[in-house]
Amino acid sequence: MTKVKALKALIALALAAGCLFLPYESLGLALNAVEIRVIAIFVLAALFWILEPFPIWTTSMFVIVLMLLTVSDKGLMLSWGGETFFSFQADPASGEKYANLVSSKGLMATFADPIIMLFLGGFFLAAAATKYKLDMNLARFLLKPFGKNPKFVLLGLMAITALFSMFMSNTATAAMMLAILAPVLSLFDENDKGRAAFALAIPIAANVGGMGTPIGTPPNAIALKALSDMDATVSFGTWMAFGVPYVIILILLAWALLLWMFPISKKTMELNVGGEFLKTPKAIIVYITFAVTVLLWVLGKDIVGIDSNIVAMIPMAVFALSQVITKKDLNGMSWDVLWLVAGGFALGVGLQKTGLAEHLIGAIPFASWPAFGLMVGAGVICLFMANFMSHTATASLLVPIIAVVGVNVGSSLDVLGGVIALLVSVAFASSLGMSLPISTPPNALAHATGLVDTKGMAKTGVIIGVLGMVLTYAMMILLASLGVFKPLPTSEEAAAAPAQETAVVAPAATVSAPVQK
Amino acid sequence: MENITILCVDDQAEVLDAVVRDLRPLQKFFRVEEAGSAEEAKKIIDETVRAGDYVGLVISDHVMPGETGVELLGAIFRDDRLADTKKILLTGQANHADTIRAINEARIDNYFEKPWKPEDLVATTKKLLTRFILKKGIDYKDYMPILDQSTLLENLRGA
Repeated sequence: MTKVKALKALIALALAAGCLFLPYESLGLALNAVEIRVIAIFVLAALFWILEPFPIWTTSMFVIVLMLLTVSDKGLMLSWGGETFFSFQADPASGEKYANLVSSKGLMATFADPIIMLFLGGFFLAAAATKYKLDMNLARFLLKPFGKNPKFVLLGLMAITALFSMFMSNTATAAMMLAILAPVLSLFDENDKGRAAFALAIPIAANVGGMGTPIGTPPNAIALKALSDMDATVSFGTWMAFGVPYVIILILLAWALLLWMFPISKKTMELNVGGEFLKTPKAIIVYITFAVTVLLWVLGKDIVGIDSNIVAMIPMAVFALSQVITKKDLNGMSWDVLWLVAGGFALGVGLQKTGLAEHLIGAIPFASWPAFGLMVGAGVICLFMANFMSHTATASLLVPIIAVVGVNVGSSLDVLGGVIALLVSVAFASSLGMSLPISTPPNALAHATGLVDTKGMAKTGVIIGVLGMVLTYAMMILLASLGVFKPLPTSEEAAAAPAQETAVVAPAATVSAPVQK
Repeated sequence: MENITILCVDDQAEVLDAVVRDLRPLQKFFRVEEAGSAEEAKKIIDETVRAGDYVGLVISDHVMPGETGVELLGAIFRDDRLADTKKILLTGQANHADTIRAINEARIDNYFEKPWKPEDLVATTKKLLTRFILKKGIDYKDYMPILDQSTLLENLRGA
């Protein structure tokens, strides 16, 4: 660990500790110690994710452990000879156990959340596709119709990158496509601006493509999780129904932008992707399983009866039994990403289950906020943050907070698609942060090729980010007018119908049914 | 960022200087250490490992007073603590038998003949250290500017 990183960690810890001693009451917030600890953990996570003294997934893991120790019903408690002299579970003044401790099982369960399983299923599909060269062969097959005119090859590359990153990780897709592209770009004239167009096209398409399906990128998972906790599920098929057209439009716009900013001088080019489709029994299992899984996802619960999270587990069983995925492949999966997401879920659980969310709602008059301003404001903050830090971490921090605000803004948000549109647009904004090499791993990979400078990346990144946000809001308003997103029951309706209450004010209710009281 | 050492071993000071000079572009990311003999090299390796740091690459001459380069690299190959350490033999005087031993008993990753081309040595060093970093699971982001592109991309495909 370098000195700079140690310093960053110390600053973050000091600021987070400082949050324990803020005068909340004078701010109109009557919080107990447990809620204040959640605030401090939230701030710590935010600072760790922004300053990155540690890899981001380690922060997530730390968040879960810290919450288990300090705000859970099984938290740290030191006793000797039957006498407790220190406890995170009880109020030191009265000695009584706090009523708003978080279920430890619920915190641990964030790592086995159905949406984590959805992602794990996606990892199985991606790993199998890579292992049996389905990705490379499909890339070769799909690139053919785009011919040899560099302009259309560029479009082809963007389309394929976007398509793949809907099912594979954005990083893996970008790495694969850059590997295909690198030898061809070395044949370009050094002064050909087109080289930058190609190098930029890959990360842009990878980032944009991830927005197309629920499993495309982790911010989608964070939004889906918050939505499912308030019983506002967006099915895989519904997400794709708006996500895919959105991706297509944004890719076309980005393509035009790249051609305009970096005109390609070279008249003809040819991408050589070797190999042919494997026809071994295992490869065929991969093809069929992949197709069936996607089909089941698209058909959805109304037709096949199983939800997308369970569908995602079918390829897991098939690939394990058929040994398409071996123990080594299993161990080699991106468990860090799953921990990263689980930590984000845990923050949401802490916010909801301690009652902190409710207290914030009580103290801040969200209902009087202008709905459109809220939606755009949330998007702008999110887009800004996502340019400087991990997309997943951005969503992890903002989604739980914005979910609280969203459900309490009331019916004025309905014309814009309600809280569903709000959270989907936040997830989209997280994916649109792509103006710097540090914004996303695909950007870093493209920048490392040396074919694109930071300035070019910043220009295209900002333009596509803003364009993408405008397109998101236009789409949300359109979807709302079509009645795609059903509004949640409002606070008043919920108060009238007590059965609904938990679903509205305590979105995390489904995750952590308290086992011990 | 972890401490990763590149250890250069040669009994001729001028050769050692030349190697270290070639590797200068990498010094921002790696610690470049020099040893005049196999014995000295082993001492540096021991110290590095004991400090909890990595020996990423050893570039060794063959003909030296005392233990030869092939013997040193063979000892590194057999050392479990250095299982992922990359090895380059840089020599003009290894005969056929030495070369066979370098492959079979030391499993060298690369063989450079003196005189070498500096850009080739740097490119190979980058490639081998990229593999080392990825194999060890060290956060590659810190090393982005000097990593070998194709090695990195190939590795991240499965990510």
